[in-house]
Amino acid sequence: MASSSSATSGALSLGSIPPAGADLETTWKFLESGIDHIMCRLQAGMSYSTYMSLYTTSYNYCTQSRIQGHVGLGGGGEGAGKSGASLMGSDLYNKMTKYLINHLMSVREGAESLVDEELLQYYAKEWTRYTTGANYIHRLFAYLNRHWVKREKDEGRKGVYPVYTLALVQWKQVFFNHIQSKSAKLANAVLRLIEKQRNGETIDQSLVKKVVDSFVSLGLDETDTSKQSLDVYREHFEDPFLQATEKYYKHESDAFLSENPVSDYLRRAEERLKEEEDRVERYLNSCTRKTLILKCEDVLIRGHAETMREEFQTLLDFDKDEDLQRMYALLARIPDGLEPLRKKFEEHVKKAGLSAVVKLVGEPGAGGAAGAGAETLEPKAYVDALLEVHRKNSETVTRSFRGEAGFVASLDKACREFVNRNSATGASTTKSPELLAKHADALLRKNNKVAEEQDLEGALNEVMVLFKYIDDKDVFQTFYTTKLSKRLIHGVSASDESEASMISKLKEACGFEYTNKLQRMFTDMSLSKDLTDQFKARMEQSHPEDSDMSFSIMVLGTNFWPLSAPTNDFHVPKDILPTYERFKNYYQAKHSGRKLTWLWNYSKNELRTNYLNQKYILMTSSYQMAVLVQYNDFDTLSLDELVNATGVGKEILTQVLALLVKAKILINEEKEQYDLNPNFKSKKIRVNLNQPIKAEVKAESTDVLKTVDEDRKYVIQATIVRIMKARKTMKHQPLIQEVISQISQRFKPNVSDIKKAIDTLLEKEYMERVDGTRDTFAYVA
Amino acid sequence: MSTTEDKTRKVKLVTSDNEEFEVDWEVATRSVLIKHMLEDIGESEEQAIPLPNVTANVLKKVLEWCEHHRKDPEPAPESSDDNRKRTLEIGDWDAKFIQVDQEMLFEIILAANYLDIKALLDVGCKTVANMIKGKQPEEIRKMFNIVNDFTPEEEAQIKKENEWAEDR
Repeated sequence: MASSSSATSGALSLGSIPPAGADLETTWKFLESGIDHIMCRLQAGMSYSTYMSLYTTSYNYCTQSRIQGHVGLGGGGEGAGKSGASLMGSDLYNKMTKYLINHLMSVREGAESLVDEELLQYYAKEWTRYTTGANYIHRLFAYLNRHWVKREKDEGRKGVYPVYTLALVQWKQVFFNHIQSKSAKLANAVLRLIEKQRNGETIDQSLVKKVVDSFVSLGLDETDTSKQSLDVYREHFEDPFLQATEKYYKHESDAFLSENPVSDYLRRAEERLKEEEDRVERYLNSCTRKTLILKCEDVLIRGHAETMREEFQTLLDFDKDEDLQRMYALLARIPDGLEPLRKKFEEHVKKAGLSAVVKLVGEPGAGGAAGAGAETLEPKAYVDALLEVHRKNSETVTRSFRGEAGFVASLDKACREFVNRNSATGASTTKSPELLAKHADALLRKNNKVAEEQDLEGALNEVMVLFKYIDDKDVFQTFYTTKLSKRLIHGVSASDESEASMISKLKEACGFEYTNKLQRMFTDMSLSKDLTDQFKARMEQSHPEDSDMSFSIMVLGTNFWPLSAPTNDFHVPKDILPTYERFKNYYQAKHSGRKLTWLWNYSKNELRTNYLNQKYILMTSSYQMAVLVQYNDFDTLSLDELVNATGVGKEILTQVLALLVKAKILINEEKEQYDLNPNFKSKKIRVNLNQPIKAEVKAESTDVLKTVDEDRKYVIQATIVRIMKARKTMKHQPLIQEVISQISQRFKPNVSDIKKAIDTLLEKEYMERVDGTRDTFAYVA
Repeated sequence: MSTTEDKTRKVKLVTSDNEEFEVDWEVATRSVLIKHMLEDIGESEEQAIPLPNVTANVLKKVLEWCEHHRKDPEPAPESSDDNRKRTLEIGDWDAKFIQVDQEMLFEIILAANYLDIKALLDVGCKTVANMIKGKQPEEIRKMFNIVNDFTPEEEAQIKKENEWAEDR
């Protein structure tokens, strides 16, 4: 550099400081050699005394008494005009500017022939050297900055900067703009380097970072130099960078997908997005992150979203968990990216559910009829099949879709669909709740294998999983109540604890009202136990002679138990008559006003045989017992005689007898003639004769459904009345909507049923049509 | 580079009249000039820092101030400038410290300006301001030994221009 020729090499010795009051020429000569040393040979070091002499020289010059320039008012001193306000400095500032321009011209020359990496290396090296030097000089001219520059700026002069900023401004004008003007040589070199890295080559990242950082530093806010502006970075780097990125990934993703499967592309896209995030971290300004990632998401994900979604079904079919996770994570990044997946997933789950049931019972028949195997379908097999579909897809949601609410909703929707309507249910909405209730019954019974082998609580929780999806929860409730009553009456419940746990689960799901009856049934059971004990204690005192007969009683509230009294006029056998009377009296004395209805059809007895060599204990129903005790007095009896003696109707008694004959207790050789078998033999001492009568079993399901229908009528009517009472008047359509929304937690009401209920209520004058309208109802108080 | 934790670090200063002072780093760097230079060049045990614009008796006084204020927080760069300037109040210690003859007072101000010690510069300038406050031009000229080089016309002109500032 021409201007540096006066300086000696190595650690600089500048000679003596120009004296205070030295003229510009002398002062600048001294300063320039120091500045040049700092800019060009700083690595050679600098002594305290050199630093101090440079500082002192610039300080002395700026603080020079202006007497010499001050020639009176209006004189031509520094900053002519109000001479009193003038400060020394503009000469130094101008000299400095000229020096920097000169210096940068030679930097610029050095870059002329360079391209790409060589250019970047040169640029980065020069930048570091230049900015380091400029920092030094800025501080050496602290006094100039503090006073002259500040004053100029305060007076609103444009184009005057603190020394460091001045150096940047010159760098930009003289060097940067020049190389960029040649087809953006510098920025393009950076972009090409980044492209190399995207292609998998190793590049010098620190080089890119340095150059990119300089773009940021060169963004100077003209009005306020303390603020940074990203204009230069945006214009010269970010915009072209984003364009290049879009082009690169568009091309790459198209090419990749044409040669590779979608699942590979998912991985690729994921990697690419990660890479770009890292790129920002490593060498870009953080302001680029958002736009860059948006751009990449747009090209890599949205641009190929359709292709990805087409692959979704295949991934589901083959349980490609990882790929599903990736697809989810990618599509989740773009707006509305997941909705189509959720829909497809719902369809998929529904199909899986339906085909699982088809496997069990065959294709559904014509006109929505249930599949061929529906009649003989095992509740457990059915429930297990449904649960398996739910479990598998629920896991997919958790694992692959991060339990996202939208997918959970899709799963629920699909499950609700196939749990209520499939080839096992046909058109019936009551089949699923029935099967589920039966399954629950099987679980809760004594000697249930599930309870022993696995965790019963878990199995009950699984029942609740399906229960949640059941539309007609009232059907389930009715079946469950019936089954529970059986378990309690016959004492075959696995454990009170499990029963209570199941009830609390149902309560949690459907509320207090739903399980109220069930809980009352338990209360009745425990009251009955106490009652039996108290009665026994009383009898031991008053009738100790009868202690060989044991007796227990269940007193069950009519409204809570799904039990019906026998229609026959049962003759209480004389053997138990005293106990029967005593209890009746005892109970009436205790609770006067209560009516006891004796449910002989649900009672059971144990009889000891005395007429055989081996003593057997016969476990019988009360009807069987009534028949058998007749043989204490006779060996042969006709059907008519038995009907008369027991008071049980012929139809039922025939079946009762058939069971006894089958068990070979009685012999039926002649028509309607029953003899006691004197040679009865059994391997077991305890002989269970108490088998359910077929007619009862069949009647059960239809009975239950009839109860459900009746209940529903009342529920609908009650709901309408409740709504009308609150709203006073209401139009037809909104009323129906409101009823449906209020009831649908328990079951899905038919619109025609609601209309019927409205008609009934109109008839009964709970409500009336409003005069002059066709479809508005009013509540009648 | 340099951290204030290191209490043992010493800095050597040499005045224009060749007197050497060895002071704690923390004290010396009250001067922004010295602080910046040490940051830029790095610290060196052997080298002394020449201060060609300061004499020993002034530096001694300045260092006394720096010693007392060694723990002061660094003033916020620009923002507090206005507040700082608006008040003429001086702390008790500083007021006592600055009770020196006029010549020393101006020497201290010059040194603070040169060494870039803003707080000390303020103390000095506020003291001078307090001296001027409420005085007539003639009194001020007398106090600072200033020769009136205005012509009567010039003086009338200036008086007229600055009429608004008269304390009436």
